[in-house]
Amino acid sequence: MKIGWRWLREYLDLQGIDSDRLSEALGMLGFPVESVEETGEGRVLELEVTTNRPDCLNHLGVAREISARFGLELGIPDLSEPSGSAVSRPRAQVSIEAPDLCPRYAARVMSGVKIGPSPDWLKRRIESVGQRPINNVVDVTNFVLYELGQPLHGFDLDRLGERRIVVRRASEGESLTTLDGVDRRLDPSMLVIADATRAVALAGIMGGMETEISGATRNLLLESAYFEPMSVRRAAKRLGMRTDASYRFERGADPDMAPKALNRACRMIQEIAGGACEGPVIDEFPRPIPAREIRLRSCRLAQVLGVPADPDFIEEVLGRLGFELEPQGDGSWRIRVPSFRADVALEDDLVEEVAREYGYDRLPTTYPAAATAGRFSESEGHKRRVSSSLESCGFYEAMNYAFTNPGREEIFLGRRTPLVPIANPLSEDHTHLRSTILPGLAESIRHNLNFGNRSVRLFETGKVFFQRGEDPEQAQEAPCLGLAATGSAHGPFWSGASEPFGFHHLKGVLQLLFRNFGFEVEYRAVARLPFLHPGVAAEIVRDERRVGLLGKLHPRLHAHYKFSQDVLVAELRLDELYGRDLQDPAYGVLSRFPSVEHDFSFLVDKSVSFAKLENAIRGLSIPELRDIRLIDLYRGSSVPKDKVGLTLRLTFADVERTLTLPEVKHLSERVFSFMRQELGVEGR
Amino acid sequence: MKPEDPTHLWQSFQAELRDVSSKAALTRLRDRYLSRQRGLLTLQLRGLGRLAPQDRPRVGKSLNQIKGRIESALAERGRALEAEQRRAQLESERLDITLPGYLPPQGRPHPLTRVRREMEEISVRMGFSVLSGPELELDHYNFEALNMPKGHPARDMQDTLYITENLLLRTHTSPVQIRTMERQQPPIRMVVPGRVYRRDTVDATHSPMFHQMEGLVVDEGITFGDLKGTLEVFLRELFSSDLKVRFRPSYFPFVEPGAEVDIECIFCSSRVGCGVCKRTGWIEIMGAGMVHPRVFSMVGYDAERYTGFAWGMGIDRIAILKYRVRDLRLFFDNDLRFLRQF
Repeated sequence: MKIGWRWLREYLDLQGIDSDRLSEALGMLGFPVESVEETGEGRVLELEVTTNRPDCLNHLGVAREISARFGLELGIPDLSEPSGSAVSRPRAQVSIEAPDLCPRYAARVMSGVKIGPSPDWLKRRIESVGQRPINNVVDVTNFVLYELGQPLHGFDLDRLGERRIVVRRASEGESLTTLDGVDRRLDPSMLVIADATRAVALAGIMGGMETEISGATRNLLLESAYFEPMSVRRAAKRLGMRTDASYRFERGADPDMAPKALNRACRMIQEIAGGACEGPVIDEFPRPIPAREIRLRSCRLAQVLGVPADPDFIEEVLGRLGFELEPQGDGSWRIRVPSFRADVALEDDLVEEVAREYGYDRLPTTYPAAATAGRFSESEGHKRRVSSSLESCGFYEAMNYAFTNPGREEIFLGRRTPLVPIANPLSEDHTHLRSTILPGLAESIRHNLNFGNRSVRLFETGKVFFQRGEDPEQAQEAPCLGLAATGSAHGPFWSGASEPFGFHHLKGVLQLLFRNFGFEVEYRAVARLPFLHPGVAAEIVRDERRVGLLGKLHPRLHAHYKFSQDVLVAELRLDELYGRDLQDPAYGVLSRFPSVEHDFSFLVDKSVSFAKLENAIRGLSIPELRDIRLIDLYRGSSVPKDKVGLTLRLTFADVERTLTLPEVKHLSERVFSFMRQELGVEGR
Repeated sequence: MKPEDPTHLWQSFQAELRDVSSKAALTRLRDRYLSRQRGLLTLQLRGLGRLAPQDRPRVGKSLNQIKGRIESALAERGRALEAEQRRAQLESERLDITLPGYLPPQGRPHPLTRVRREMEEISVRMGFSVLSGPELELDHYNFEALNMPKGHPARDMQDTLYITENLLLRTHTSPVQIRTMERQQPPIRMVVPGRVYRRDTVDATHSPMFHQMEGLVVDEGITFGDLKGTLEVFLRELFSSDLKVRFRPSYFPFVEPGAEVDIECIFCSSRVGCGVCKRTGWIEIMGAGMVHPRVFSMVGYDAERYTGFAWGMGIDRIAILKYRVRDLRLFFDNDLRFLRQF
């Protein structure tokens, strides 16, 4: 809202208050000055006015705030009714058919008006608040809007059918060409101003083209009404319009101002454009709006603000703001709220008025006593454990938008998935919510490769969304972890070539993560996932339930993202991981006796998986067997094509004593003969 | 056999010792003179018996002296050779310590996570508990229960992404206030960090997805002064201990009185003015206020007995200020050149 310094001085004696001090004071009253502009009309301040204060979208309202803050008298312009000619000329008829949407409608007919340019002072005023002067009548209505906050509208009376005004809901299929030249389709939820036969204005939003005031207008009907905020807001939103009038009506205009502003405008038009008022003011007020009365207690002020209330101060500032106070003798007041303060409905609203005028900075600064210790959420502990595990493996945390679109998701997943749709998306890329974190990570990998980072490891935690059945209302969310990695597993160092980050590197990262959570899982080969390489993909299973996936991105996606190196990905449901309480570690006894290692090299059929071997050995339940580790795997020319050469290192130990060599030999022999018989391995 | 002159033997030993430059040569020299079978000195000693008896003690003594000298000369040279060898060994192992180190892999948390953790840690130190809530939220919790009925103009300030008429992506973390108060009686001291969504186009200063932290205190006897004190302490912990903080009236439907909180511009020392603070010396940092009595009545709290205050601030905005990031989009590009800086 633009407020002119010179204009303000019409209502206030600002002697001794410079504009910097005024800006500061306005800011501390809740109206921050966004910018200051020098104009021919002096300084103009751009004020930010919050949605609850439509009464300050004009100069008089802002002047009232300043008068209360600085204890100045507020000079209100002459708002009394100018007398009309007694001659009985054709007057207009006003009827309100929708009093719920239009509680008050004031109007006056003026005849013999000479439309022409405004005098220079009026043009300058209009220009200083960023408007374009149009003609003397329209400029007066705009002047009154910026002075008093009341939107007015002038109709060419001779173009109003039967010189009638009917305030009604639009009929189905009705249309109206508004002043901006747009043909608007209306519906019965919208309030219109009509003449005998057709709509001539969108109530509280914009007038119609056909009854517009033009150079040829001689007689006019000036409208000054109060429209119900919600209906103006709904109609303006539906039509995608926002005008100075709708902006004020939808926030709440002042119902008492309607006839007063009309008087002000009529006087000005008489002076500037000639013309005479015809008959008395028409003021249809089918639904009177009673003034609100609120009780304000000193004790409530003290309870909320933390300072004792000063009755003199309260009476002074609230009085200047237009409230009428009646002390009740018990430390409370009965307070009548002025009609322009639609925002004040409760006692605490008055507490705020007092606090604003007192100054937030002058209120005491205290500290509430803490009765309990603060604590992190349980999931925060889990999150930090995930994060530190992955960071220690070289993964950086990424964040992607939670939005997606069906095309992107389908290309990645290789199949159509029901996604949660956004009803009012803003862009074509962001029409749905993601069901997986991985496409975002794949795009982040591509971004980094494009910028020359050839080794990239990223993780992301965040919600994914899915739908149960067809009903979007049943949409659900779940916390997920995604990982993506490409490049070298270590280095590259100057000492030698580096190994590419592959499936087993990623698996190692996950194993470490699960170990940090004390979470036991199985990895099972899975071939039916269209986004993973069928031979390099695993599902992570716990209690026969899939909790995650890992693998190499499918060659199809390599081509899609134009990757020239392998990209490994994994995704996990974090609620599965978070389902367990984090427990303090339980200490296990350290043996004082040395452990003994025994290496086995052997050939085994390719079809025998490592998991099968390992499980079989563990199945022997040898208590002294502490660890089974694969230390070598070879498939060279010395090994038959259908075999693999493995070297296992078995570690034996006992907490009670040192194992003797024959004992270890005996245990090893037990393992090896079992493997020979059961799994067909051959020693090397 | 005629006994050789012992002095001559010593001189020839010394001459040969001069040419010894390795441990092997030293061993060979020792053998040549002292080996049990064929050592030159050994042979001389063994030949003593053939000397005239009167010569034996003199020659014997002389030979034993020479033997002692040879042995200590050999030992000394042995030690010297060893020292020499160690020196050569160490020299051969010398590295160019200016070559770059092998960096172990290391990742980092996202800068927004870093700021969120810092804010959570301050809150916990101040006695607040950290809570969370769903991102898919009901209109009731996001708006209605926060004194923003349908059609309320303040809903425009938070243009919303809807799933259905009743279900939306939360526009702030405030719904968790309501969910908590419905479940729990005062005293309440909580903060809620989380992800929120607005219907905004992506640009340098707007993002359809960002992060907020909301706080709430409810108890008997909580005043606006407590709001000021608590937020002042919080912001000073977050930025600097002598930070100036300012409170001015503002409007949020779920608080009354409502406040906007400014901190002195941390880019230009306050009152100088720069682009970030629009030459005012102050930066808007959060909205706050005393909990609106209608919000209390929605959750069944007695607004006469309890008072409280709430505040909310953008985590992304704090990160922008703390790390002086110019473009919000950098937080969501996941560019390692950016992520490595935090």
